[in-house]
Amino acid sequence: MPVDPDNSSAMNDSTGSGEASVSSSGNQTVPQNESGKKKRNLPGMPDPNAEVIALSPKTLLATNRFVCEICSKGFQRDQNLQLHRRGHNLPWKLRQRSSNEVKKRVYVCPEITCVHHDPSRALGDLTGIKKHFCRKHGEKKWRCDKCSKKYAVQSDLKAHSKICGTREYKCDCGTLFSRRDSFITHRAFCDALAQESAKALPEKPPNANEEPNKRVVASSSPPSTPPARSPATESQLPPPPPPALPPPAAPKPLMTPAIPPSTSVMSFVSSVQNPELRENPNPNSAGTATKQVIEETAAVASSSSSCSNVSTTSSSVFGSLFASSTASGSLPSQAPGFPDMFRAMAPELAPPSSTEPISLCLAMSHGSSIFRQAGQERRQYAPAPQPAMSATALLQKAAQMGAAATSSSLLMGFGVMSSNASSSNGQQEWSGRPIDTDAGLGLGLPCDAGSGLKELMLGTPSVFGPKHPTLDLLGLGMAASVGPTPGLSALIMGSNLDMATAGGSFGSGDFSGKDLGRNS
Amino acid sequence: MRGTSTTVPLQNPSLFNNPQSSLAGALKGCIGSLDGACLEKLLLHCASALENNDVTLAQQVMWVLNNLASSNGDPNQRLTSWFLRALISRASRVCPNATNNNNLHNLERRLMSVTELAGYVDLIPWHRFGFCASNSAIYRAIEGHTKVHILDFSITHCMQWPTLIDAIAKRPEGPPSLRISVPSWRPPVPPLLNVSSEEVGLRLANFAKFRDVPFEFQVIEELNNDMLLGQLSPSTLQLRDDEALVVNCQNWLRYMPDDEQIKGVISSRDIFLDRVKDLNPCIMTIVDEDCDLGNTSLTSRIATCFNYLWIPFDALETFLPKESRQRLDYEADIGHKIENIIGFEGNQRIERLECCNKFSQRMENSGFMSVPFSEETIKEVKSLLDEHASGWGMKEEHDMLLLTWKGHNSVYATSWVMVPPQMDMRIHE
Repeated sequence: MPVDPDNSSAMNDSTGSGEASVSSSGNQTVPQNESGKKKRNLPGMPDPNAEVIALSPKTLLATNRFVCEICSKGFQRDQNLQLHRRGHNLPWKLRQRSSNEVKKRVYVCPEITCVHHDPSRALGDLTGIKKHFCRKHGEKKWRCDKCSKKYAVQSDLKAHSKICGTREYKCDCGTLFSRRDSFITHRAFCDALAQESAKALPEKPPNANEEPNKRVVASSSPPSTPPARSPATESQLPPPPPPALPPPAAPKPLMTPAIPPSTSVMSFVSSVQNPELRENPNPNSAGTATKQVIEETAAVASSSSSCSNVSTTSSSVFGSLFASSTASGSLPSQAPGFPDMFRAMAPELAPPSSTEPISLCLAMSHGSSIFRQAGQERRQYAPAPQPAMSATALLQKAAQMGAAATSSSLLMGFGVMSSNASSSNGQQEWSGRPIDTDAGLGLGLPCDAGSGLKELMLGTPSVFGPKHPTLDLLGLGMAASVGPTPGLSALIMGSNLDMATAGGSFGSGDFSGKDLGRNS
Repeated sequence: MRGTSTTVPLQNPSLFNNPQSSLAGALKGCIGSLDGACLEKLLLHCASALENNDVTLAQQVMWVLNNLASSNGDPNQRLTSWFLRALISRASRVCPNATNNNNLHNLERRLMSVTELAGYVDLIPWHRFGFCASNSAIYRAIEGHTKVHILDFSITHCMQWPTLIDAIAKRPEGPPSLRISVPSWRPPVPPLLNVSSEEVGLRLANFAKFRDVPFEFQVIEELNNDMLLGQLSPSTLQLRDDEALVVNCQNWLRYMPDDEQIKGVISSRDIFLDRVKDLNPCIMTIVDEDCDLGNTSLTSRIATCFNYLWIPFDALETFLPKESRQRLDYEADIGHKIENIIGFEGNQRIERLECCNKFSQRMENSGFMSVPFSEETIKEVKSLLDEHASGWGMKEEHDMLLLTWKGHNSVYATSWVMVPPQMDMRIHE
């Protein structure tokens, strides 16, 4: 195989440094789909025939990656290396690049914890992966003089310096923008402009109540003037005024805000300007802002007829399913799973008493305030909040709990029967941390699913073996009997359970037309 | 971790990895770990269990997923939480006596103010990319015209137009007079405003006045969902002969039902295009998302969707903190889309995206020909992307512009004119 300068330097680094984390697919072609199914290039997926290359961290960070095989001189760019090689008077054959070049290459990140470590999330070009690695896992050695922002890649700093402080567009309402198009768009719709053209407004007292539209979030500085929830004002959002009237005549007052521009816009702006920063520059204000937006959203929603008919029933579905460990037990009235939306939906709920991050997962720590600061300084990620148990363990637990379940429907288990809050076992199940509940899954599994699971955990993985009839828990009128659940066992087994092998089952063949949800 | 498995199939719709806890790291096999591939597989198993009426399995998997997903975790977890929610609501819909169905259908409706929406569309270049490319193409197409009428079919409530108004205000030969018409019907999807279209039009008019651009705005009352196709006529739309007509479709065509669900009937989407052609626009700009969701199989839709929507979740992750209100709201809107794609079938499933190549073919079959974007437009779009996070990129394919995130296609922008009759090579029946 002719020497390929590109490949050889990669291989040199890999073998030489000994740090190479060349994945097991290495430099080989990715195997085709084993089931022989017609391959699809899924959106978001790189070319399945591409060669996956994993370079070592050292290689990625090295500045002189291209090495001349003759004199071992290093170069930053391949073109420079090629130019240099000409000077060695190589025989014609060796000067040529290998014809293997035509194969498309994709690069994965060597950092195991990284999103881009997986080949299906590989990046398409070498520069991209190098920059990515440096940015995400490298040290931030470059720092802007003007605003002290730090960057791991020098070109990022250069790009930033170009715009740092240079262009700022300011709307009459006081909001700042770094990009002209967002400035223009905002300006077109901003109250300030409407006011200006109307020229018929009395000076507005510094009362935030009268600006339902303008308020994006409360401002950071004055906690003393929080945007009050003013349902009365909000309810003034009615059908628009007849076209003949100038906009300010609309029930919405359109006056210059007395409070400075909203924090979230500011943070947004600064966030946009700081793509590298994870931490919110104003953590306190963001916290306050979030809370106030929540209240505001509730207020806005309360006046909107389209929101108001969402009953607590649906809150309770998800509330009970996803109750946080701090749930007080009155699940229908608490919906911590999707915090703000539920509060918006059910304005009769009390506003949140805390801004503690609420997650669906009961077992997850609420330490999601682990922002990325620490992680960015070092290669090691600060781990995202993790469930206390692995997926396998959870699956096993599910099997165990299934064995002791009482009878109730799927939906009762999920707590839909809000009227039976006290009697339904389902809701009880969900209110605690899952690893603490021993009383059963509460999912309404009258059949002895547990033993079936265990049996199949040890047994052969027939992924989608003969379909077993299950109890008719959904009231669909199907025959019911006890049976094992091959599917779950397959999951638990699943080391190589990829869609390639299961692909046939998942394909349109067996399953289409059997959608439960097909109503029409 | 994944490194221990012997095959690393790219065709496997697996996803990116999670940071590992040491406990999980000790477990072999991708199921033992908590990565995106694992989550996706669990979702697929749950869906297939539902399709099989294997309630037991579905419940068990849902329980597991519930413990893994989180709307406040990392992108994988967040994305999964929305999928799980959609699966649950789908499952509950088949059991009408257990709950009041209607409530589950009503997802939360988050209403924004116009200024909030203005910020929303610029959070990531997802929308702005299409706006920029389309406006630039429109600007070129209306060169020399003194009267312009834009038919705007979009879900972003005219957020596209201020920059166009700004551009034509600065036209050397003076601005044309501009008329914008929007249908009174709009698909019931986010982003949602807390004011009416008329109010939006008023503000636009105000802005145009401020820039000295003669401007008119109208909401076409008759264009409601049922009548949309039938009412696309010059008289209903109040077209005027001396105007250059521009038709702008932004995230719109996907809501036009396609022939897959209405067997034996010509696709409404194609009818729409035919009607538009009859209006004789000087240009038609179409922007949509490059994702193929027409498949009837639930599991394949989940796989496709999961492998596509990680893009905005990943992008938001790069610069907004976990608790960011804007991020959560944006993700919730995507969750709304997931809910529809996963939770519904038939007429209720309105999100019917098709990929850019199929779409292109459809346009050509309908008698349109693509217009390449000019160098200037490309430069504009590039400089727009430069101002956003560095993962955003752009590529050009067959006259289409594609927005990419870390190399993966997200949104496509196209512009079309009608094939002149003598060049029309299609076979007419």
